[in-house]
Amino acid sequence: MAWYDEDSWATAAFAPRLATMALTLALVLVLPILLHQFVYRRVTPTALPTFLLVGPSGAGKTALLTLTERKTVAPTHTSTSPLTIETLLPDGFTPSSSQFRSPGDPAYERARRFLLVDTPGHGKLRHFATAQLVNPTHVRGIVFVVDAASIAEEAGLTEAAEYLHDVLLALQKRYTGARTSKGPKEIPVLIAANKLDLFTALPPHLVGRALEKAVSEVRKSRAKGLKDSGVGMGMGGEDDGVDEEREWLGEGGEGNFEFRHMEEVGTGVVVKGGNVLGGEGTDVQAWYEWIAEQL
Amino acid sequence: MLDTFEILTTSGVVLWSRTYVPVGANIVNSLIRDVFIEERIQPQSEDAGQKPAYRKEGYTLKWTAAKDLGLIFVAVYQSLVHLTWIDKLLDNVRALFVGLYGEQLAKEHSSVVDCQKFGPYFDRQIQELEGASRGASSTPNVKLTPPSSSNDSAGEESPSLPVLEKSQKPLYDTSADSTPVPTPDTSRPTTPAQSHLVTGKTRPGGKLSRKDRKKSALNNSAPVSSGDEASTKRKLGGKAAGKKGRTWGEFGAEELDPDVVLDYSSTDIRDANSETEALEEIKPETWGRKTGKGQFVLKDLDEEMDAIIAEQNSKKESSAPSSGIVGSSIGAIGGLFRNVVGGKTLTKEDLAKPLQGMEQHLLKKNVAREAAVRLCESVERDLVGLKTSTFTTIESTIRTSMEKALTKILTPTSSLDLLREIQTVNSSSRPYVLSIVGVNGVGKSTNLSKIAFFLLQNHHRVLIAAADTFRSGAVEQLRVHVKNLKELSKREGGEVDLFEKGYGKDAANIAQDAVTFAAKNGYNVVLIDTAGRRHNDARLMSSLEKFGKLANPDKILMVGEALVGSDSVAQARNFNASFGPGRGLDGFVISKCDTVGDMVGTLVSMVHATGIPVVFLGVGQHYADLRGLNVGSVCRLLMS
Repeated sequence: MAWYDEDSWATAAFAPRLATMALTLALVLVLPILLHQFVYRRVTPTALPTFLLVGPSGAGKTALLTLTERKTVAPTHTSTSPLTIETLLPDGFTPSSSQFRSPGDPAYERARRFLLVDTPGHGKLRHFATAQLVNPTHVRGIVFVVDAASIAEEAGLTEAAEYLHDVLLALQKRYTGARTSKGPKEIPVLIAANKLDLFTALPPHLVGRALEKAVSEVRKSRAKGLKDSGVGMGMGGEDDGVDEEREWLGEGGEGNFEFRHMEEVGTGVVVKGGNVLGGEGTDVQAWYEWIAEQL
Repeated sequence: MLDTFEILTTSGVVLWSRTYVPVGANIVNSLIRDVFIEERIQPQSEDAGQKPAYRKEGYTLKWTAAKDLGLIFVAVYQSLVHLTWIDKLLDNVRALFVGLYGEQLAKEHSSVVDCQKFGPYFDRQIQELEGASRGASSTPNVKLTPPSSSNDSAGEESPSLPVLEKSQKPLYDTSADSTPVPTPDTSRPTTPAQSHLVTGKTRPGGKLSRKDRKKSALNNSAPVSSGDEASTKRKLGGKAAGKKGRTWGEFGAEELDPDVVLDYSSTDIRDANSETEALEEIKPETWGRKTGKGQFVLKDLDEEMDAIIAEQNSKKESSAPSSGIVGSSIGAIGGLFRNVVGGKTLTKEDLAKPLQGMEQHLLKKNVAREAAVRLCESVERDLVGLKTSTFTTIESTIRTSMEKALTKILTPTSSLDLLREIQTVNSSSRPYVLSIVGVNGVGKSTNLSKIAFFLLQNHHRVLIAAADTFRSGAVEQLRVHVKNLKELSKREGGEVDLFEKGYGKDAANIAQDAVTFAAKNGYNVVLIDTAGRRHNDARLMSSLEKFGKLANPDKILMVGEALVGSDSVAQARNFNASFGPGRGLDGFVISKCDTVGDMVGTLVSMVHATGIPVVFLGVGQHYADLRGLNVGSVCRLLMS
């Protein structure tokens, strides 16, 4: 039975039969609906700007998040999973993009809206944050929260510095690894020195200096340290490049590290102090101002 | 008695809490760290009917989780108190909370859950369970002191607060009114501590409270003042009356006075007695009336509560079996379809088979059985009750979950930065002491020389102490290593020497001498080689404790070979425990990684057994073949 026979499927498909018509009709009606459902499934209308909260455990990331969301601080414990909230910039802060808009403008309201992503700071759970840093599509800024009181001690400083080093290095890699000549969008970093209400807390500028020093220490010992097992073991390492050059944070890893070195790779770093909890209420104005500048 | 009950999310926000006695936040934090993140304490299986417990600083914590919503329910109480109803409370509260606020919790991009009205439900649960347990055991339980603070996450004052107050009130009113006598109105001196406790205990139960009071009255050495206690009534009264008739009548007039007094008291007691009798008559009535008054709220609450719990439970049950042939076949087809498309809610049965496969896969990679089982269990715990995301099969879901579990187990809590630590220790002008232990023939001396080479490259002055005074040729072997290292490091600027005392001496003393020698002669680092020992030989292992005390190393590393199979778990455990309380291993060096290909399961087994991170990997025969651990690549090897 060839295709040109009278009772073949090709003839049937073009013949004025009821079944053919019904099938065609069904197809015509159903296909657009299915197509619509497929295409328009789960597409958010606009991507909100995102701010990432990172930092060592116990610095006050989740507390800051709850403060931003509900204007009061909820009691918090160690986080084990990330949390995203959608929130508005508090009253009294104007997003820099809409400085000349009037408060009644719907665009103004829209500009004040942003997402805040909290990540767990425990050493074992930092992959949530680093995964975000690898492909930061909507990330407008990173808030690195540190406990200014624990910075005063060696252990706390080391932990914070190592984490900060990793975050900054990830940002630098993203910049230097960019394929286009234009380079990716800038992602500034705010180092939020939290818990300034405590007696033992260092003032913000000292926090900055201590961290700069500690980061250069970390960089130095990383440079001298052993190579990764991924390189040496020869297997599994092939796909991500055995002879990939190791990268050093800021100006090729020479001299002392300073935060302004990061500016040439599109990452401005500022240190600002504040406290989420505290006897005389909270003081997070500086951080909100910084967020407003980025919006 | 319960100290604190908290409902928190996995992201760390406390949604609702009820505090009876303030408990430091660090208690719950350490629960989260030790149990949920580092998995240092292995949760017992739940089929024992018991919820897992965690002890910390005199507190016992019990918890349960609602994984799909990311909730953790934690109850904290003093370890001294044995509370049998906590498990039930956790279950009920979970069912209630999920039933009431499930929708709010599922909302995206928000951490706010308006659960201010949860207080009455919780109180009612506690009352019910406490009452039930008391009825069953009839041991006197201390009643909960009223909550000092009930704070709720939403924080803001809400108009619904009066409702909460109102519904709470009847609960307390009933308990206060139904314990009729010991109110301050009687204004009689109550017996100090005990009776006070008992009055605190008394509850609408009636019968039992009287029993308690009787007991307390008997216990009291001076029951005179307890005229207010109804329970002293008959016995005391009868005795007094008897005495009066028999003894006091025969004595002088002056003794009639006490008689009169006594008589007085007895009448007083009778009065009180009758009073309580009357009160007791009224009691059920008042109780009823009070409850009648409060009933509108209470009953409503009760019914609603029961309905929610029943609904949650039925949901749980219905998800397991489907009824009827049609239902089951549709369910089966749907399950198959969902397995391909995703969106299937995972049950234990679904996971059983793929997990078995996963376990086999891990065993093939030389992971010890114990570790493999535990990993699979943790994956199962992670996944049961979750929905697979779109277009993922169960197998791939398990795979990603297993990768996550492996990454978590292998990632150290804080990375070891040897050079930095040496710097810190040296700044206090003493040498950094690192010692190496392990089973025979795993490569202790070789890895020690590798570490020495690494330190020499960084211009340190290294002293190698030959504390293996047992095996023939051990000292000579180290001497050769030192000679080679000297040659190699001549240009680099490091300096290395051997500290030896020959054979047969006590290793611990040699180690100690080496440390003092190094401190005197300005060495930065002391590396101590020890004799290999079998981990299940108690005689050999016992000398390690002395060694640890005398040499007091900053870091003790254990060398384990990648070739070893399921013995690795026991090795790691025994060596970790051999240094006495308060001291353990600080890290593992896994040697001979180049000889096993992708079967690097030993790493996982050792870390699983102790929670101590792998610091170095030996990947070859040369001095430079020492590597840090790259968690990602090891995971890839294990999953390939």
